[in-house]
Amino acid sequence: MSLQTPRILPSHLHAFHPSSASSNTVRILGTVTALHGETGTLTCGTNGDVTLILKSDARLQVGKLVEVVGKVADLEGGQGYGLRVLGSTEWGDPADCDYKIYEHVVNATHNFKSIFYD
Amino acid sequence: MDGNYNNYSSFGGGSGGGGFMPGEANSPAGGKTSDRDNKTLRPVTVKQALDASQPFPEAPFQIDGADVANVLFMGQVRNISSQSTNVTYKIDDGTGEIEVKKWVDSATADNMDTDDGKAPGDGKTELALNGYARVFGSIKSFGNKRYIGAHSVRPLSNINELHTHLLEATAVHLFFTRGPPGAAPAGGNAAAGGNAAAGGADAVMGGANDYSAGQNKALASMSLVAKKTYNLLKTESLDDNGLHMQVIASKLDIPATEVARAGEELLSAGVIFSTMDEQTWAILEY
Repeated sequence: MSLQTPRILPSHLHAFHPSSASSNTVRILGTVTALHGETGTLTCGTNGDVTLILKSDARLQVGKLVEVVGKVADLEGGQGYGLRVLGSTEWGDPADCDYKIYEHVVNATHNFKSIFYD
Repeated sequence: MDGNYNNYSSFGGGSGGGGFMPGEANSPAGGKTSDRDNKTLRPVTVKQALDASQPFPEAPFQIDGADVANVLFMGQVRNISSQSTNVTYKIDDGTGEIEVKKWVDSATADNMDTDDGKAPGDGKTELALNGYARVFGSIKSFGNKRYIGAHSVRPLSNINELHTHLLEATAVHLFFTRGPPGAAPAGGNAAAGGNAAAGGADAVMGGANDYSAGQNKALASMSLVAKKTYNLLKTESLDDNGLHMQVIASKLDIPATEVARAGEELLSAGVIFSTMDEQTWAILEY
């Protein structure tokens, strides 16, 4: 069975935390709004932010829309959940993406799970 | 000869079709015939393509109980391996990973994707590793391995296209399992949905599933009045004689002419039949 990466929003991170879920690799879409060396902030439309734990070779740019595949992890100092980036795809200008459609996609994929995820 | 078989199986409908099934299973021509008739392009997820079932070897693949000729999906290219006769891609859309084979036609390799003469390069060179691609082709299997025989593999640049595709795949899945949107949640539809959801799990029940799914599908493409008429006949028929057209018209509060048209639709689809006279119909149950 190949790896599945459910599409989620920041509010679903807890459901994929290593302590509660067997699979904690997820896919999330957002705009890079800040980069601080090892970490970055991904803003997901009006759904809040996610802290990204970056790889050293990550090439993210502030202001770009990116789709991140990563593992849900605890942030240092108990600051909640973060996402350890495994890979990212740049989609360019966030204005070209209708984030509402993505929200519907997340909803649909979780409501009709049988065609998306095991 | 081929043509004759084709005609028979399409006229066969419910009972005749059953009789021809074994014949078709052994004759490759049978499989090809249905391939040729079904030219639909269905939006799917990679998981659906991997889960697609085959009622018998050489049969067309089925998803949600419906034959699929061609599928369309979008995903990230995880591997590209170019051979002399084909290019094999591994496509991952987050729901699974599948191999996609695109045959290289040496004569047209350079202009295959540029029929309109606009794009400078061919699709192959534009596809980047880990970039998104849209693929359409047909589901194939070789041994136990499932792959896609691709007609087209092109890069995808608009993320909205990816998202709407996933929503389309969901919509089409729901169409086949629950019937069209806006339809009355009749017993028949709900039962068919349940069967389809459980599809594949119970091989013994396979036949029964097919029938109800088939009826559901026939109804799916019909007018609203036809569906209402069918549901009324299903629920209100007192005996084997069914209901008269005028009775249906008054019960549904619909002009008799419209009911007559709906009746013709249902009659031609073979889901109802006339009993006492031309205007009295009953559900044709298997």
